[in-house]
Amino acid sequence: MWIERAALAAELPAAASLATRELAELLASLGFPVDAVEARPGTEVLDVDITANRGDAMSHRGMARDLAARLKAPMAPLAPPPTPEGAPKVPVHLPDPGCPIYATALLTLGAGETPEAVQAFLAALGASPKKLPAVDASNELLHRYGHPTHAFDADRIHGAVTVRRAVAGEKLVTLDGVTRTLAAEDLVIADERGPIALAGVMGGEATKVTEATRRVLLESAWFEPRTVRASAHRHGLHSDASQRFGRGADPAMASVARDLLVQRLQAWAGATLEGAWTAGALPATVPTVTLTADLLTRVAGEPLSLAEAAGTLEALGCRVTTGSEAMAVQPPTWRHDLGIPEDLAEEVLRLRGYAAIPSVLPPLEGPPQPLAPEYLQRQALARRLAHLGFHQTVTYGFVSPEMDASFAGPLGTEAHDDPEKRTLANPLGVEYSRLRRSLVPSLVETARQNRKQGQREVRLFEIAPTYRGLPAGPEDTWTVALLWAGERWDGDPESKPALVKAKHLHGVLKDVCLPGTDRKVRVLDEDAMVVTELPLSYFRRPDARIIPTYMPHSRFPAVERDLSLTIPTNLPWLRMHGVVREALKDSALVDLTCADLYQGKGLEPGSKSWLLRLTFQAMDRTLVSLEVEAWMASALAAAEALGAKLRA
Amino acid sequence: MDSLLPPEIDEADRTFAGALEACADLDTLLRLKGAYVGREGSHAARMMDLLKAAPKEQKRELGAAINAFKQRWEEGLKARQADLEAAKKAVGASSWDATLPPPMPARGALHPLNRLMDRLVDVFRPLGFHVEEGPEVETEEHNFDGLNIPADHPARGSADTFYLAAHPGRLLRTHTSPVQVQTLKRYGKDGARLLNERGGIRFLAPGRVYRKDEIDPTHSPMFHQVEGMLVGHGIGMQHLKGTLEYALRALFGPHTEIRLRPSYFPFVEPGCEVDVSCPLCAAKGCRVCKGSGWVEILGAGLIHPNVLEFAGIDSKEWSGWAFGMGVERMAMMLSQTPDLRLFFENDQRFLEAMGGLD
Repeated sequence: MWIERAALAAELPAAASLATRELAELLASLGFPVDAVEARPGTEVLDVDITANRGDAMSHRGMARDLAARLKAPMAPLAPPPTPEGAPKVPVHLPDPGCPIYATALLTLGAGETPEAVQAFLAALGASPKKLPAVDASNELLHRYGHPTHAFDADRIHGAVTVRRAVAGEKLVTLDGVTRTLAAEDLVIADERGPIALAGVMGGEATKVTEATRRVLLESAWFEPRTVRASAHRHGLHSDASQRFGRGADPAMASVARDLLVQRLQAWAGATLEGAWTAGALPATVPTVTLTADLLTRVAGEPLSLAEAAGTLEALGCRVTTGSEAMAVQPPTWRHDLGIPEDLAEEVLRLRGYAAIPSVLPPLEGPPQPLAPEYLQRQALARRLAHLGFHQTVTYGFVSPEMDASFAGPLGTEAHDDPEKRTLANPLGVEYSRLRRSLVPSLVETARQNRKQGQREVRLFEIAPTYRGLPAGPEDTWTVALLWAGERWDGDPESKPALVKAKHLHGVLKDVCLPGTDRKVRVLDEDAMVVTELPLSYFRRPDARIIPTYMPHSRFPAVERDLSLTIPTNLPWLRMHGVVREALKDSALVDLTCADLYQGKGLEPGSKSWLLRLTFQAMDRTLVSLEVEAWMASALAAAEALGAKLRA
Repeated sequence: MDSLLPPEIDEADRTFAGALEACADLDTLLRLKGAYVGREGSHAARMMDLLKAAPKEQKRELGAAINAFKQRWEEGLKARQADLEAAKKAVGASSWDATLPPPMPARGALHPLNRLMDRLVDVFRPLGFHVEEGPEVETEEHNFDGLNIPADHPARGSADTFYLAAHPGRLLRTHTSPVQVQTLKRYGKDGARLLNERGGIRFLAPGRVYRKDEIDPTHSPMFHQVEGMLVGHGIGMQHLKGTLEYALRALFGPHTEIRLRPSYFPFVEPGCEVDVSCPLCAAKGCRVCKGSGWVEILGAGLIHPNVLEFAGIDSKEWSGWAFGMGVERMAMMLSQTPDLRLFFENDQRFLEAMGGLD
């Protein structure tokens, strides 16, 4: 909202002597940060942010009220000569509680136009003057005093005026020329032919004031904020009026603003008052709120004098009855936001300045809680993977249906998934419409981009929830995905780069997964890309014990023996490993590994060659060669049972 | 006993150490070895001749003396040879061009947003804060109702919030605050049993949130927040200020100043916005703080009594504060990253430079 310096000073003379920067800081400390200051002919305007709860502050007078309370400076009086009221010239009916009061007047316009100064004021605020006194005056009052008013061309109104809910489907062409189809919840001003204005939001095209207008019917009413907000939202019409009524205007201003408008039309346009009258009555006042000394002390962090607090609240327009331990506070008609004691405490602190709040660390009232194991697991896993050379990614949680269909999701979540159950009703676009069941498509896309940017090796991981569409709704699973693509190379000119293979990711999984859950790696044909995805539950957790139970190591020499074998190609290592271990389960075997592997020339077709390396070590003695030879014979026999032959 | 061997031998032994030291390479050493312990013509060979010729009764004593000389010389020669060989190897190594790139261990990176969130948790841990988390798919009750957000608030509209098609009322959380509601409800259950048992609550809730914003340099439909909450007896604005002053100094340095400005959020009362003295220019004024010396960093306030009561917590007995900050916003400010989208592109060069590893 734009605030013009001279108009502010007109409401609060003390503001005239403030430097602009000083004024901006003052406003910010009151909760109205200034986003920009711009020069206008002969003056300056400030772009002030107003929070959603402070409809009352959306005018020069509203700003001035808070500043006056802070500066303890007097406001200029606002007391227009009251317009004498008489019998209604046009009947006004208020059947709906959404409009409890409607002050109006009927005037015949004479000659004259909007004063230059007022035109300049409106122009400075970016509100282009229309040079129609009835329109400009209404606009000027809105910016100066915050109360929206409206002038109808009285000769284009047919019969009585009623403020009622619309009939669903009724049409209204608003001032912006758009035809609005009204909903049953919309509050409208209607004449006998139908709606002529959307209450508190915008007037109608058919009854607007033009240069041809001879008589005007004024509207200075109060509309219930929720109704106005809903209509403004429904029709996408966030007008100056709807923003003020929607945040809560001051009902007591209805007749005052009417009087001000009459006064201006008489002065600027030589208007003659035909009659003024008010339908309805002021809505019930906001209830009294009790603020205790205890609550004020608690919120403020130190004991504040009740008398001083009462003074602050009175400066803001409250009526205060102070007791010894508490005060009863009647907020002014313009402060709909003051409903609970905490609101009042905030006002006292706000006017005092938040800089005065002391700084204290809160005392611990109980023991601190530990971090959750799953949180620690994710943190430790992310660090480990980063140390293993992988880069953590953060990608969007929703993907396109095509991307979503390309991968099944982490192990164990494939079944019972209905993609419709995790589809958004209002996505940004179809490419962001589905909560993903797999992280892999996002990682693959990220890897492709990285490869395109010239990365020869891409190592990525992501830890994020994936979703399964269940009848009851999307079910989330913390999931870990890893991707390795391109060429592995340590940068040593003496070593050669080699394409990434599935086994490399297996190795990583062996490092970070629980035993036995490390074999789910998919190889994508393209670009030497291997990926894997597993639920977080498959990964190692940080040990709850600080140090595990001691396991003794042998202090006797180890004996290492190799066994060179020719094996049928289809025999998996895991089987060989299991069978040989089983055969030597009573021996001193401590390790069995495949130390070398050969496949190709010199071997019979359908066979491969393995070099088994067996390590023996006893806990209690130095082994003798006789026993080791016997074990090696057993190992060979076990291997031969699987079709292995000792290699010549 | 020295009379048994000729003086030449004693002389040779005296000069041995010096001669050994003078051997600069293996060839010279081999010649010295030949002269002392070689098979023919060496000092050792001469002594063996003398031994053969010696009378029987002297042989034992002479033999011991000869052996002592030989052993000392051989050991000296051997040690010197080892030194020279090692030196030769070392010379060989230094011929390797050490300016060539060496083989490097793999090095990955944490995502900068995760790193920043971890750091925030680290900062609050010493004050007894733990981490609470919640689902991304939430209910209106947790995302709005429990936070005192009015039923007609525009944030609830489908223009601002993502809703699920098949489940009316289920949405993607628009802030981490539903974690507040869920946690407060858990602590507030059974007459606030947990709250009484543990003497309050203090936690951080880091996480991903969603809002229906088009993707551009400053907006993203998914971003991260860290929320903090503390509930106890007699908690007021002074405790909010004290905690944030500690935390923001731990993050930005001991000379950081903080500033609270009144503001409004439906779930707190009083509400405030918190600025820090610009960490990039030490509050002298720069592009990041737009010359003001201050940077807005988070929103906060005392928990609205309606929020506590919604969770079954007596707001007459308990009170607390809460804050919420945007992780991307803070990361962009600290790193002066010009475009929010970079955080979700995951270019490895960006991740290495911005995230790195502790």
